[in-house]
Amino acid sequence: MGNSEKKRIEIPEICRVEGHSAVYVEIDQGKVTNVQLDVFEGTRFFEQIVIGHHFEEIPHITSRVCAICSSGHVLAAINAIEHILGFHPNTTVSLFRELLHLGMVIESHATHICALALPDFLNIPDLMEFASAHKEEFSTWTILRNLGSAIQTTVGGRAFHPVNMHVGGISRCPSGDELKPLLEKLSFAQQKAIDLCSLLMQFQPKVRRTTEPTFLALIPNKGKYGFFGDTVKSSDGWEQSIQNYRDYLSEKSVPYSHAKQSKGRGKPLMVGSMARLALFHDLLDGQAKHIYQSSPLASGDTNTILNNLAQAIEVVHAIERAQEIIRVLQEVEEPQFAHPEITKLKPIAGSGSGAVECPRGTLYHYYDIDEAGKILQADMVTPSAQNTARIELDIREVVDQTLGKTSDQLEGNLETLIRAYDPCNTCATHMVSVNYL
Amino acid sequence: MSTNQPLPRIAVHSLTGCAGELLVILENLDKLLPFVHVTSFPFAQGKNEIRPVDITFVEGSVSQPHDLEKLTELRANTRWLVAVGNCAVWGCVQRAGCNHCSVQKMIDAVYGTNSPIEALPAAPLDHYVPVDVKLSGCPIDATQFLAVTANLLRDHLPYVTHKPVCLECKLKENGCVLIEKNLPCLGPVTAAGCGALCPSVGAACYGCWGPCEEPQMEAMATILSEKGYQLDEVLGRLQAFGAPKELFVRLEKS
Ligand code: SF4
Ligand code: SF4
Repeated sequence: MGNSEKKRIEIPEICRVEGHSAVYVEIDQGKVTNVQLDVFEGTRFFEQIVIGHHFEEIPHITSRVCAICSSGHVLAAINAIEHILGFHPNTTVSLFRELLHLGMVIESHATHICALALPDFLNIPDLMEFASAHKEEFSTWTILRNLGSAIQTTVGGRAFHPVNMHVGGISRCPSGDELKPLLEKLSFAQQKAIDLCSLLMQFQPKVRRTTEPTFLALIPNKGKYGFFGDTVKSSDGWEQSIQNYRDYLSEKSVPYSHAKQSKGRGKPLMVGSMARLALFHDLLDGQAKHIYQSSPLASGDTNTILNNLAQAIEVVHAIERAQEIIRVLQEVEEPQFAHPEITKLKPIAGSGSGAVECPRGTLYHYYDIDEAGKILQADMVTPSAQNTARIELDIREVVDQTLGKTSDQLEGNLETLIRAYDPCNTCATHMVSVNYL
Repeated sequence: MSTNQPLPRIAVHSLTGCAGELLVILENLDKLLPFVHVTSFPFAQGKNEIRPVDITFVEGSVSQPHDLEKLTELRANTRWLVAVGNCAVWGCVQRAGCNHCSVQKMIDAVYGTNSPIEALPAAPLDHYVPVDVKLSGCPIDATQFLAVTANLLRDHLPYVTHKPVCLECKLKENGCVLIEKNLPCLGPVTAAGCGALCPSVGAACYGCWGPCEEPQMEAMATILSEKGYQLDEVLGRLQAFGAPKELFVRLEKS
């Protein structure tokens, strides 16, 4: 390739990701001049949809932003609204919520790792071949996914878009007897998750970004590795309350995409499993801790592709933590289960935010409520929107390194790179209407 | 199954939605794989061909010109078109959003006034192309999905029930949350299929399956107003999951 040549790399539709997106890279004079991640998923304007609805309806509506992380959108909405109304759920309710969330993490990570990411490493062209030629991996995926959906069905009432989780609590507490089969499923799946980590450790990433990312994640509650918290921490050394997320997260729309892009204090961010492990691996325990310590992540390798492994380690963690929670819940006196753990909350005018660590990173919901309990204004910042700027930077760095070399694999490798972020385009297109920073 | 007969071909695609149906189909694919060839399913596999198929499942609403182009192409290449999920059958929450705010206003608010983003008011598939089977749900019920597919593979157009959720609720012998707990249950006007999931955990149905056949919206609104709900909130709840405006003409006048 001559230096003066203009070149354009196009991947018109990235397969095996959630939603619809494309990539365009422009090269001129041997340099990458432009990278665009175009999310062409249709927009559903969730911040507008919820306006005028009563706060009790909100978790059910926002659940529909995205099926695979629906429990996350439900809990972020509930957290924000309960924060505004000054309500604190009791321990039983909090544990059920955490258990639901872990079910989502297991199901979402398993589907991403096995069905969406693995085919690149095992050269699986289609599902038929996956099911027939890679029985072991296919069955791992089935077992883990069924586990995640069994947890969510037991706690939330169905595999996603839970019907049992509400502002003010939970409408029916599953009994000790209903929780019991989950324990068997969890202990059976644990080894599968550990094996999945070993499998992922065998793959050598084919591409490598050249700069260190800035990680951002919620500081987990109670000093234990986890997915709930009220303050974020950055690998650049700062911490800030999520109530002030507008102070550190900027968002802008770009003309070529339906998804907006966020930056953290002006810099591209990486959120998700790798960010959480990088910041809070000290808080891990059990098998998850051992696996982490023996992984390249522990020696500080931040190659994007390792996010797949980071997710697998979180699956092991989630399985261990879910067993702990179920044992505690089984101890709760039976009579308590006969009554719904739900409090009817009185509306108070006010505004506030809630956040959770979704499988793909921190998810923020913000609401402004009037004295009748109706939504006046809403805002959501999704993990995928926070990752987009960093994905584009990764692509630029990887393409830059290959310039001048012949690489027939480049497009495939770029897809593998993007997939490692587990982008969720249906989430990313539900961006805000406020322009801040 | 005879080995020299080519397997029936299926395609699975999404327009604008939450990918819920894609997940349900993916999770049940192991049951289908012995009987079908998956010609395209971009969410789940890398190799996808657009060629004539027997059954195409489409999730999501038509919300932008790109969706419409895709839908037209899919329709032209399939024998049966199955609309899966509330978005494809009714338009779901995004249609309700378009009812109370124009698309252009939403684009201006979100992307700025000179944005090149193109959007259409969210609409179900049958606003644009003929649909052979409508399978609602949010997400669809896996058992219903497998039954519908089995029927189609046997060359038979399936029957999908649109009776109210109350019917399933009674069969489960639940206590009625509308009457006993005064919760705003929309079961009487919502299509069954979920197995009365919400009332079974003691919560109100919020209508995620879309309207049932001949929904009695005025009667529902009367009951809810007797329970102290204002008419505008009642209308908001009844329309939240894509029920078409036409069902509310009389109510909106009152
Ligand atoms: S609880 Fe709801 S769905 Fe069940 S019978 Fe009563 S109104 Fe119908
Ligand atoms: S009861 Fe109503 S809201 Fe609940 S799952 Fe069934 S149709 Fe959806």
